[in-house]
This record gives sequence, C-alpha cells and structure tokens, in this order.
Amino acid sequence: MQQPPQQERSPTEFLSNVIGRPVVVKLNSGVDYRGILSCLDGYMNIALEQTEEWVNGQLKNKYGDAFIRGNNVLYISADKTN
Amino acid sequence: MTEETHNAPVEPNAVEEPLDLVRLSLDERIYVKLRGDRELRGKLHAYDGHLNMVLGDVEETITVVEINEETYEEVIRTVKRTSEMLFVRGDGVIL
Repeated sequence: MQQPPQQERSPTEFLSNVIGRPVVVKLNSGVDYRGILSCLDGYMNIALEQTEEWVNGQLKNKYGDAFIRGNNVLYISADKTN
Repeated sequence: MTEETHNAPVEPNAVEEPLDLVRLSLDERIYVKLRGDRELRGKLHAYDGHLNMVLGDVEETITVVEINEETYEEVIRTVKRTSEMLFVRGDGVIL
C-alpha cells in the first residue's frame, strides 16, 4: 500500500497551513461562515475576514474582522471553491 | 531512507492572536452575537480571555419566532432592550 507523502500530521500543522486561505467554519448551531482565515489559536477561537454567514439562504455579510469563540466551532475546513 | 522533516511546531501564534485583534476594537462600536438568538450592538469598553465583555450604550435584540398552529405561519419578531452599561459573560458569546 502506498502512503501518500505526508507532512506532519498534527492539527497544529493543519492550523499553520490553513491560515490565509478561504475556509468554511461550521458551528455547533449549524450556521456556516465562509471567509479568509486571519488567525486562530489552540482553543479554536477564529478571526476571519470578509465573512459571509449562511444558514438556509444567505443572511448577513460581515466585512473586516469577525471573531468566533472556539467552543462553538464544529469544524474548520479549507475551501477551495470560495 | 525516509527523511522526516519534523519541525518542532514553532510557537503557533505568539499570544492569543484573535484576541489581539479584539483589542484593536476597544472603544469602538461592535456587533456581538450571543447564544439564544440574541445580538448586541454597543461600545466595547473591556474584555478578557474568556470573552467576558463590558459594553456601554448597548442595544440588545432578541429574535423570537412564533408559529401560529392554525394557519401554520411563522411570525418573526424582535424584542429590543437598551442598557447604559452591560456585562456579558463570555461563554454565551458566539461571534
């Protein structure tokens, strides 16, 4: 079995790699936020730029920075389609 | 021979970077989203690492969805309250 070339596997590496890229952040409440990841920390607190909030249809637009408290975050996904 | 470039994770982000950016918003009007369909708009006087905040001159908006069971229509209402100074506990903060 071939193993794909792997970088370090830790979540910390993922965090370093994903900064500056467009991401999708899903919260426990089910709300989606798409934006560019400014920075984040070990608690999964997130700072995003140019964030869009999606529930069923599009709700609100936030420009500048949006801060999301880490305990509400379900996942952070790198989004290539943004 | 497999070469593993194990770079010891450099200090991820010096302190608590997202909070450093919150610091830039001190004394400015901000919008805060809370659990329970509540929103606040007010001036950020103080905050801490838990995201406890002290807001001045705030307007709180509570969104209520009422469903009429007979006609099956949803009515969305908002309730507003204002305070001169408000302490917000951090664990209720979403955004």
